[in-house]
Amino acid sequence: MSALLSVLAGGIIGLDTTSFPQAMISRPLVAGALAGWMAGIPAEGAMLGAVLEAFHLAILPIGASKYPESGTATAAAVFAMAWAGPAAHAPAMLLTVMFALGWERIGGGSVNLMRRFNERIAPSGTSPITASAITRRHSAAMLLDFTRGALVTVAGAAIGCLWIQVLASAWVFGPEVARGLLVASAAGSAAAALRLFGGWTLRWPLFVVGAVAGTLMVVIA
Amino acid sequence: MFLRSFAIQGSWNYRTLIGGGFAFALLPALRAIYRGDPEGRDAAVRRHVHIFNSHPYLVGVALGAVSELEAERTDPETIERFKIAVRGALGSLGDALVWAGWRPASALLGLVLVFAGAPWWLGPLVFLLVYNAGHLALRAWGFRIGFRHGRRVGEVLRRANLAHVQRDIARAGALLLGMCLPLLLGNGAAGAIRWPWLAAGVIAATLGLRSGNAARTPIVTAMAVALIAALAYGWLT
Repeated sequence: MSALLSVLAGGIIGLDTTSFPQAMISRPLVAGALAGWMAGIPAEGAMLGAVLEAFHLAILPIGASKYPESGTATAAAVFAMAWAGPAAHAPAMLLTVMFALGWERIGGGSVNLMRRFNERIAPSGTSPITASAITRRHSAAMLLDFTRGALVTVAGAAIGCLWIQVLASAWVFGPEVARGLLVASAAGSAAAALRLFGGWTLRWPLFVVGAVAGTLMVVIA
Repeated sequence: MFLRSFAIQGSWNYRTLIGGGFAFALLPALRAIYRGDPEGRDAAVRRHVHIFNSHPYLVGVALGAVSELEAERTDPETIERFKIAVRGALGSLGDALVWAGWRPASALLGLVLVFAGAPWWLGPLVFLLVYNAGHLALRAWGFRIGFRHGRRVGEVLRRANLAHVQRDIARAGALLLGMCLPLLLGNGAAGAIRWPWLAAGVIAATLGLRSGNAARTPIVTAMAVALIAALAYGWLT
Protein backbone atom coordinates (compact mmCIF):
# COMPACT_ATOMS: atom_id res chain seq x y z
CA MET A 1 0.00 0.00 0.00
CA SER A 2 2.79 2.36 0.92
CA ALA A 3 4.51 1.65 -2.39
CA LEU A 4 1.31 2.55 -4.27
CA LEU A 5 1.02 5.74 -2.26
CA SER A 6 4.62 6.61 -3.13
CA VAL A 7 3.74 6.19 -6.82
CA LEU A 8 0.74 8.49 -6.43
CA ALA A 9 2.68 11.07 -4.41
CA GLY A 10 5.58 11.02 -6.85
CA GLY A 11 3.32 11.44 -9.85
CA ILE A 12 1.44 14.39 -8.35
CA ILE A 13 4.59 16.08 -7.11
CA GLY A 14 6.48 15.46 -10.35
CA LEU A 15 3.59 16.90 -12.36
CA ASP A 16 3.31 19.98 -10.15
CA THR A 17 7.01 20.81 -10.54
CA THR A 18 6.55 22.08 -14.09
CA SER A 19 3.55 20.71 -15.98
CA PHE A 20 0.44 21.25 -13.81
CA PRO A 21 -0.61 23.25 -11.82
CA GLN A 22 2.61 24.68 -10.29
CA ALA A 23 0.82 25.32 -7.03
CA MET A 24 4.01 24.47 -5.11
CA ILE A 25 2.84 21.07 -3.89
CA SER A 26 6.26 20.06 -5.23
CA ARG A 27 8.18 22.31 -2.86
CA PRO A 28 10.08 20.25 -0.25
CA LEU A 29 8.11 21.95 2.55
CA VAL A 30 4.82 20.57 1.19
CA ALA A 31 6.09 17.41 -0.51
CA GLY A 32 7.68 16.28 2.74
CA ALA A 33 4.49 16.80 4.74
CA LEU A 34 2.32 15.16 2.06
CA ALA A 35 4.61 12.14 1.68
CA GLY A 36 4.98 11.89 5.44
CA TRP A 37 1.22 11.85 5.91
CA MET A 38 0.88 9.13 3.26
CA ALA A 39 3.75 7.10 4.73
CA GLY A 40 2.46 7.29 8.30
CA ILE A 41 5.20 9.63 9.61
CA PRO A 42 3.61 13.07 9.14
CA ALA A 43 5.66 14.99 11.71
CA GLU A 44 8.99 13.53 10.60
CA GLY A 45 8.07 14.06 6.95
CA ALA A 46 7.10 17.67 7.56
CA MET A 47 10.35 18.36 9.42
CA LEU A 48 12.42 16.65 6.74
CA GLY A 49 10.60 18.70 4.14
CA ALA A 50 11.25 21.90 6.08
CA VAL A 51 14.96 21.17 6.40
CA LEU A 52 15.22 20.40 2.68
CA GLU A 53 13.26 23.57 1.91
CA ALA A 54 15.98 25.48 3.80
CA PHE A 55 18.56 23.95 1.44
CA HIS A 56 16.54 24.99 -1.62
CA LEU A 57 15.33 28.47 -0.73
CA ALA A 58 17.84 30.23 -2.95
CA ILE A 59 17.66 27.88 -5.98
CA LEU A 60 15.68 29.44 -8.83
CA PRO A 61 14.02 27.71 -11.85
CA ILE A 62 14.92 30.51 -14.26
CA GLY A 63 14.12 30.12 -17.93
CA ALA A 64 15.52 27.00 -19.54
CA SER A 65 18.06 26.33 -16.82
CA LYS A 66 18.64 22.77 -15.69
CA TYR A 67 18.21 22.44 -11.94
CA PRO A 68 17.75 19.63 -9.40
CA GLU A 69 14.24 18.32 -8.82
CA SER A 70 13.75 18.70 -5.10
CA GLY A 71 10.07 17.71 -4.81
CA THR A 72 10.28 14.09 -5.93
CA ALA A 73 13.60 13.70 -4.11
CA THR A 74 11.94 14.89 -0.89
CA ALA A 75 9.02 12.49 -1.32
CA ALA A 76 11.41 9.62 -2.08
CA ALA A 77 13.49 10.49 0.98
CA VAL A 78 10.44 10.55 3.26
CA PHE A 79 9.18 7.18 2.05
CA ALA A 80 12.73 5.82 2.37
CA MET A 81 12.87 6.98 5.98
CA ALA A 82 9.48 5.44 6.70
CA TRP A 83 10.42 2.11 5.11
CA ALA A 84 13.83 2.04 6.87
CA GLY A 85 11.99 1.97 10.17
CA PRO A 86 12.83 3.24 13.68
CA ALA A 87 16.05 1.22 13.99
CA ALA A 88 17.77 3.81 11.81
CA HIS A 89 16.43 6.73 13.82
CA ALA A 90 19.56 8.37 15.26
CA PRO A 91 21.22 9.46 12.04
CA ALA A 92 18.14 8.89 9.85
CA MET A 93 17.35 12.51 9.09
CA LEU A 94 20.96 13.37 8.24
CA LEU A 95 21.32 10.32 5.97
CA THR A 96 17.93 11.01 4.38
CA VAL A 97 18.73 14.65 3.66
CA MET A 98 22.08 13.68 2.11
CA PHE A 99 20.32 11.11 -0.02
CA ALA A 100 17.71 13.64 -1.16
CA LEU A 101 20.39 16.18 -2.08
CA GLY A 102 21.96 13.56 -4.33
CA TRP A 103 18.75 12.00 -5.70
CA GLU A 104 17.42 15.38 -6.81
CA ARG A 105 20.15 15.36 -9.50
CA ILE A 106 18.66 12.12 -10.83
CA GLY A 107 15.24 13.74 -10.86
CA GLY A 108 16.64 16.78 -12.62
CA GLY A 109 18.30 14.55 -15.19
CA SER A 110 15.00 12.77 -15.83
CA VAL A 111 13.31 16.14 -16.42
CA ASN A 112 16.03 17.01 -18.93
CA LEU A 113 15.50 13.70 -20.78
CA MET A 114 11.75 14.20 -20.79
CA ARG A 115 12.13 17.69 -22.26
CA ARG A 116 14.35 16.28 -25.00
CA PHE A 117 11.73 13.61 -25.71
CA ASN A 118 9.01 16.28 -25.79
CA GLU A 119 10.84 17.87 -28.74
CA ARG A 120 9.79 14.84 -30.79
CA ILE A 121 6.12 15.14 -29.95
CA ALA A 122 5.95 18.93 -29.98
CA PRO A 123 4.59 20.04 -33.34
CA SER A 124 6.42 22.42 -35.62
CA GLY A 125 4.59 25.13 -37.46
CA THR A 126 4.92 23.31 -40.77
CA SER A 127 3.55 19.98 -39.61
CA PRO A 128 -0.14 19.24 -40.40
CA ILE A 129 -1.21 19.77 -36.84
CA THR A 130 -4.86 20.11 -35.88
CA ALA A 131 -6.58 21.41 -32.79
CA SER A 132 -7.43 17.92 -31.51
CA ALA A 133 -3.89 16.70 -32.17
CA ILE A 134 -2.47 19.54 -30.07
CA THR A 135 -4.65 18.47 -27.16
CA ARG A 136 -3.63 14.83 -27.52
CA ARG A 137 0.08 15.61 -27.67
CA HIS A 138 -0.06 18.04 -24.79
CA SER A 139 -1.98 15.55 -22.65
CA ALA A 140 0.45 12.78 -23.57
CA ALA A 141 3.38 14.91 -22.45
CA MET A 142 1.68 15.56 -19.11
CA LEU A 143 0.98 11.86 -18.63
CA LEU A 144 4.64 11.19 -19.34
CA ASP A 145 5.63 13.72 -16.68
CA PHE A 146 3.31 12.09 -14.12
CA THR A 147 4.82 8.67 -14.91
CA ARG A 148 8.34 10.05 -14.73
CA GLY A 149 7.70 11.63 -11.34
CA ALA A 150 6.19 8.41 -10.02
CA LEU A 151 9.11 6.28 -11.21
CA VAL A 152 11.75 8.66 -9.87
CA THR A 153 10.02 8.73 -6.49
CA VAL A 154 9.43 5.02 -6.01
CA ALA A 155 12.93 4.13 -7.26
CA GLY A 156 14.41 6.77 -5.00
CA ALA A 157 12.42 5.52 -2.03
CA ALA A 158 13.66 1.95 -2.54
CA ILE A 159 17.29 2.95 -3.03
CA GLY A 160 17.09 5.48 -0.21
CA CYS A 161 15.74 2.88 2.17
CA LEU A 162 18.74 0.65 1.45
CA TRP A 163 21.05 3.65 1.82
CA ILE A 164 19.69 4.43 5.29
CA GLN A 165 19.63 0.84 6.50
CA VAL A 166 23.19 0.11 5.35
CA LEU A 167 24.77 3.34 6.57
CA ALA A 168 22.87 3.86 9.82
CA SER A 169 24.67 0.97 11.50
CA ALA A 170 28.02 2.72 10.93
CA TRP A 171 26.95 5.89 12.76
CA VAL A 172 28.50 5.84 16.24
CA PHE A 173 28.17 9.49 17.25
CA GLY A 174 24.58 9.60 18.45
CA PRO A 175 21.57 11.66 17.33
CA GLU A 176 22.79 15.04 18.58
CA VAL A 177 25.88 15.13 16.38
CA ALA A 178 23.81 14.09 13.38
CA ARG A 179 21.27 16.81 14.12
CA GLY A 180 23.97 19.44 14.74
CA LEU A 181 25.72 18.76 11.45
CA LEU A 182 22.42 18.87 9.58
CA VAL A 183 21.08 22.01 11.23
CA ALA A 184 24.32 23.96 10.80
CA SER A 185 24.42 23.09 7.10
CA ALA A 186 20.74 23.93 6.61
CA ALA A 187 21.20 27.31 8.31
CA GLY A 188 24.08 28.18 6.01
CA SER A 189 22.14 27.23 2.89
CA ALA A 190 19.00 29.06 4.02
CA ALA A 191 20.94 32.23 4.81
CA ALA A 192 21.99 32.43 1.17
CA ALA A 193 18.40 33.46 0.37
CA LEU A 194 19.04 36.98 1.72
CA ARG A 195 20.65 37.73 -1.66
CA LEU A 196 17.24 37.22 -3.27
CA PHE A 197 15.77 39.94 -1.06
CA GLY A 198 18.46 42.52 -1.79
CA GLY A 199 21.45 41.28 0.19
CA TRP A 200 22.97 42.19 3.53
CA THR A 201 23.85 45.84 2.75
CA LEU A 202 20.25 46.71 1.88
CA ARG A 203 18.27 44.46 4.21
CA TRP A 204 20.36 44.06 7.37
CA PRO A 205 18.04 46.15 9.60
CA LEU A 206 14.99 44.02 8.84
CA PHE A 207 17.04 40.84 9.01
CA VAL A 208 18.35 41.82 12.46
CA VAL A 209 14.85 42.69 13.69
CA GLY A 210 13.71 39.27 12.52
CA ALA A 211 16.69 37.58 14.13
CA VAL A 212 15.94 39.25 17.46
CA ALA A 213 12.30 38.17 17.22
CA GLY A 214 13.28 34.61 16.35
CA THR A 215 15.79 34.47 19.19
CA LEU A 216 13.16 35.71 21.67
CA MET A 217 10.79 33.01 20.43
CA VAL A 218 13.44 30.37 21.13
CA VAL A 219 14.33 31.75 24.56
CA ILE A 220 10.74 32.26 25.74
CA ALA A 221 9.42 28.91 24.45
CA MET B 1 -8.40 29.41 -21.04
CA PHE B 2 -7.77 30.31 -17.42
CA LEU B 3 -7.86 26.67 -16.35
CA ARG B 4 -5.78 25.58 -19.35
CA SER B 5 -3.15 28.15 -18.41
CA PHE B 6 -2.30 25.99 -15.38
CA ALA B 7 -1.06 23.35 -17.84
CA ILE B 8 0.82 25.78 -20.08
CA GLN B 9 4.16 24.04 -19.40
CA GLY B 10 2.81 20.50 -19.87
CA SER B 11 4.79 19.86 -23.06
CA TRP B 12 7.83 22.00 -22.24
CA ASN B 13 10.74 21.21 -24.54
CA TYR B 14 14.01 22.83 -25.59
CA ARG B 15 12.82 23.53 -29.15
CA THR B 16 9.53 25.39 -28.72
CA LEU B 17 9.66 25.94 -24.93
CA ILE B 18 5.96 26.51 -24.08
CA GLY B 19 4.84 26.95 -27.69
CA GLY B 20 2.73 23.81 -27.68
CA GLY B 21 1.19 24.73 -24.34
CA PHE B 22 0.38 28.21 -25.61
CA ALA B 23 -1.56 26.79 -28.56
CA PHE B 24 -3.29 24.32 -26.22
CA ALA B 25 -4.38 27.08 -23.83
CA LEU B 26 -5.50 29.36 -26.69
CA LEU B 27 -7.75 26.69 -28.23
CA PRO B 28 -11.05 27.74 -26.59
CA ALA B 29 -10.62 31.27 -27.98
CA LEU B 30 -9.66 29.97 -31.42
CA ARG B 31 -12.65 27.61 -31.48
CA ALA B 32 -14.96 30.53 -30.71
CA ILE B 33 -13.31 32.89 -33.20
CA TYR B 34 -13.18 30.35 -36.02
CA ARG B 35 -16.53 28.66 -35.35
CA GLY B 36 -17.68 27.04 -38.57
CA ASP B 37 -14.20 27.38 -40.09
CA PRO B 38 -12.13 24.39 -38.96
CA GLU B 39 -9.40 25.03 -41.53
CA GLY B 40 -9.03 28.60 -40.33
CA ARG B 41 -8.92 27.35 -36.75
CA ASP B 42 -6.25 24.73 -37.52
CA ALA B 43 -4.20 27.31 -39.43
CA ALA B 44 -4.38 29.57 -36.37
CA VAL B 45 -3.27 26.64 -34.17
CA ARG B 46 -0.26 26.08 -36.43
CA ARG B 47 0.65 29.77 -36.10
CA HIS B 48 0.84 29.47 -32.33
CA VAL B 49 2.91 26.32 -31.80
CA HIS B 50 6.16 28.17 -32.53
CA ILE B 51 8.71 28.98 -29.86
CA PHE B 52 7.30 31.03 -27.03
CA ASN B 53 8.14 31.50 -23.39
CA SER B 54 6.71 33.31 -20.41
CA HIS B 55 6.51 32.96 -16.70
CA PRO B 56 3.58 30.53 -16.25
CA TYR B 57 1.68 32.88 -13.95
CA LEU B 58 1.88 35.78 -16.42
CA VAL B 59 1.11 33.87 -19.62
CA GLY B 60 -2.48 35.11 -19.30
CA VAL B 61 -1.25 38.54 -20.41
CA ALA B 62 -0.20 37.06 -23.75
CA LEU B 63 -3.17 34.69 -24.02
CA GLY B 64 -5.68 37.46 -23.40
CA ALA B 65 -4.00 39.91 -25.75
CA VAL B 66 -3.49 37.36 -28.54
CA SER B 67 -7.15 36.30 -28.24
CA GLU B 68 -8.14 39.90 -28.87
CA LEU B 69 -5.74 40.18 -31.81
CA GLU B 70 -7.07 36.96 -33.34
CA ALA B 71 -10.65 38.11 -32.82
CA GLU B 72 -9.78 41.35 -34.67
CA ARG B 73 -8.34 39.17 -37.49
CA THR B 74 -4.99 40.89 -37.11
CA ASP B 75 -2.44 39.69 -39.62
CA PRO B 76 -0.26 36.80 -38.38
CA GLU B 77 3.03 38.72 -38.72
CA THR B 78 1.78 41.44 -36.35
CA ILE B 79 0.62 38.83 -33.82
CA GLU B 80 4.00 37.08 -34.01
CA ARG B 81 5.86 40.38 -33.49
CA PHE B 82 3.66 41.10 -30.49
CA LYS B 83 4.46 37.70 -28.97
CA ILE B 84 8.19 38.20 -29.53
CA ALA B 85 7.97 41.65 -27.95
CA VAL B 86 6.24 40.55 -24.74
CA ARG B 87 7.79 37.18 -24.01
CA GLY B 88 11.03 38.52 -22.55
CA ALA B 89 9.22 40.94 -20.27
CA LEU B 90 6.74 38.32 -19.08
CA GLY B 91 9.59 35.94 -18.26
CA SER B 92 11.86 38.34 -16.42
CA LEU B 93 9.01 40.03 -14.53
CA GLY B 94 7.69 36.71 -13.30
CA ASP B 95 11.13 35.43 -12.35
CA ALA B 96 11.89 38.52 -10.25
CA LEU B 97 8.44 38.83 -8.70
CA VAL B 98 7.61 35.16 -8.07
CA TRP B 99 10.62 32.83 -8.11
CA ALA B 100 13.02 35.27 -6.46
CA GLY B 101 10.47 37.02 -4.24
CA TRP B 102 7.02 35.68 -3.48
CA ARG B 103 7.93 31.99 -3.39
CA PRO B 104 10.91 32.15 -0.96
CA ALA B 105 9.13 34.72 1.22
CA SER B 106 6.01 32.54 1.48
CA ALA B 107 8.16 29.47 2.12
CA LEU B 108 9.92 31.28 4.96
CA LEU B 109 6.55 31.96 6.60
CA GLY B 110 5.89 28.22 6.54
CA LEU B 111 9.39 27.44 7.81
CA VAL B 112 9.04 29.84 10.74
CA LEU B 113 5.90 27.98 11.80
CA VAL B 114 7.54 24.55 11.45
CA PHE B 115 10.72 25.45 13.33
CA ALA B 116 8.72 27.28 16.01
CA GLY B 117 7.02 23.99 16.83
CA ALA B 118 3.58 24.48 15.28
CA PRO B 119 1.53 21.36 14.39
CA TRP B 120 3.16 19.50 11.50
CA TRP B 121 0.48 20.46 8.95
CA LEU B 122 0.28 24.19 9.78
CA GLY B 123 3.49 25.45 8.17
CA PRO B 124 2.94 23.68 4.83
CA LEU B 125 -0.75 24.64 4.78
CA VAL B 126 -0.09 28.32 5.54
CA PHE B 127 2.60 28.36 2.84
CA LEU B 128 0.22 26.85 0.26
CA LEU B 129 -2.64 29.21 1.14
CA VAL B 130 -0.55 32.38 1.23
CA TYR B 131 1.51 31.51 -1.83
CA ASN B 132 -1.44 30.50 -3.98
CA ALA B 133 -3.46 33.55 -3.00
CA GLY B 134 -0.73 35.61 -4.64
CA HIS B 135 -0.31 33.11 -7.47
CA LEU B 136 -4.00 33.13 -8.42
CA ALA B 137 -4.26 36.91 -8.07
CA LEU B 138 -1.33 37.33 -10.47
CA ARG B 139 -2.79 34.93 -13.03
CA ALA B 140 -6.19 36.63 -12.90
CA TRP B 141 -4.58 40.08 -13.22
CA GLY B 142 -2.61 38.93 -16.25
CA PHE B 143 -5.70 37.69 -18.07
CA ARG B 144 -7.63 40.83 -17.15
CA ILE B 145 -5.09 43.26 -18.57
CA GLY B 146 -4.45 41.03 -21.59
CA PHE B 147 -8.11 40.91 -22.59
CA ARG B 148 -8.73 44.57 -21.74
CA HIS B 149 -5.74 46.13 -23.46
CA GLY B 150 -4.82 43.76 -26.29
CA ARG B 151 -1.80 44.96 -28.26
CA ARG B 152 -1.32 47.93 -25.87
CA VAL B 153 -0.72 45.62 -22.90
CA GLY B 154 3.01 46.30 -23.11
CA GLU B 155 2.44 49.90 -22.04
CA VAL B 156 0.23 48.71 -19.18
CA LEU B 157 2.98 46.38 -17.98
CA ARG B 158 5.51 49.21 -18.05
CA ARG B 159 3.17 51.48 -16.08
CA ALA B 160 2.17 48.78 -13.59
CA ASN B 161 4.89 49.82 -11.15
CA LEU B 162 5.42 46.36 -9.75
CA ALA B 163 8.72 47.51 -8.29
CA HIS B 164 6.99 48.57 -5.06
CA VAL B 165 5.39 45.13 -4.79
CA GLN B 166 8.80 43.47 -5.27
CA ARG B 167 10.31 45.77 -2.64
CA ASP B 168 7.63 44.96 -0.06
CA ILE B 169 8.00 41.23 -0.70
CA ALA B 170 11.78 41.52 -0.34
CA ARG B 171 11.41 43.36 2.97
CA ALA B 172 9.05 40.71 4.30
CA GLY B 173 11.42 38.00 3.11
CA ALA B 174 14.42 39.51 4.88
CA LEU B 175 12.43 39.82 8.12
CA LEU B 176 11.17 36.23 7.92
CA LEU B 177 14.65 34.90 7.10
CA GLY B 178 15.97 36.66 10.18
CA MET B 179 13.26 34.96 12.29
CA CYS B 180 13.79 31.57 10.68
CA LEU B 181 17.52 31.15 11.32
CA PRO B 182 17.48 31.39 15.16
CA LEU B 183 14.45 29.09 15.24
CA LEU B 184 16.26 26.54 13.07
CA LEU B 185 19.45 26.75 15.12
CA GLY B 186 17.74 27.01 18.48
CA ASN B 187 15.12 24.31 18.02
CA GLY B 188 17.42 22.29 15.81
CA ALA B 189 15.04 20.22 13.65
CA ALA B 190 13.14 18.56 16.50
CA GLY B 191 15.76 18.80 19.22
CA ALA B 192 18.21 21.26 20.75
CA ILE B 193 21.85 21.33 19.64
CA ARG B 194 24.90 22.10 21.74
CA TRP B 195 26.96 25.24 21.46
CA PRO B 196 29.72 23.90 19.16
CA TRP B 197 27.06 23.11 16.55
CA LEU B 198 25.31 26.37 17.29
CA ALA B 199 28.59 28.16 16.61
CA ALA B 200 29.11 26.14 13.43
CA GLY B 201 25.60 27.12 12.35
CA VAL B 202 26.25 30.81 12.97
CA ILE B 203 29.48 30.62 10.96
CA ALA B 204 27.70 28.79 8.12
CA ALA B 205 24.84 31.30 8.19
CA THR B 206 27.31 34.20 8.05
CA LEU B 207 28.94 32.58 5.04
CA GLY B 208 25.55 32.19 3.40
CA LEU B 209 24.53 35.78 4.14
CA ARG B 210 27.71 37.16 2.64
CA SER B 211 28.18 34.80 -0.32
CA GLY B 212 24.63 33.95 -1.37
CA ASN B 213 24.12 30.81 -3.40
CA ALA B 214 27.88 30.41 -3.92
CA ALA B 215 28.09 29.25 -0.31
CA ARG B 216 25.69 26.36 -0.81
CA THR B 217 28.04 24.01 -2.63
CA PRO B 218 30.89 24.29 -0.12
CA ILE B 219 28.46 23.91 2.78
CA VAL B 220 26.80 20.81 1.34
CA THR B 221 30.22 19.41 0.37
CA ALA B 222 31.51 19.96 3.90
CA MET B 223 28.44 18.17 5.27
CA ALA B 224 29.01 15.26 2.91
CA VAL B 225 32.72 15.02 3.78
CA ALA B 226 31.93 15.08 7.50
CA LEU B 227 29.31 12.37 7.04
CA ILE B 228 31.68 10.16 5.03
CA ALA B 229 34.43 10.62 7.60
CA ALA B 230 32.08 9.77 10.45
CA LEU B 231 30.77 6.66 8.69
CA ALA B 232 34.29 5.54 7.83
CA TYR B 233 35.27 5.96 11.48
CA GLY B 234 32.26 3.90 12.52
CA TRP B 235 33.07 1.09 10.09
CA LEU B 236 36.76 0.96 10.95
CA THR B 237 36.41 1.02 14.75
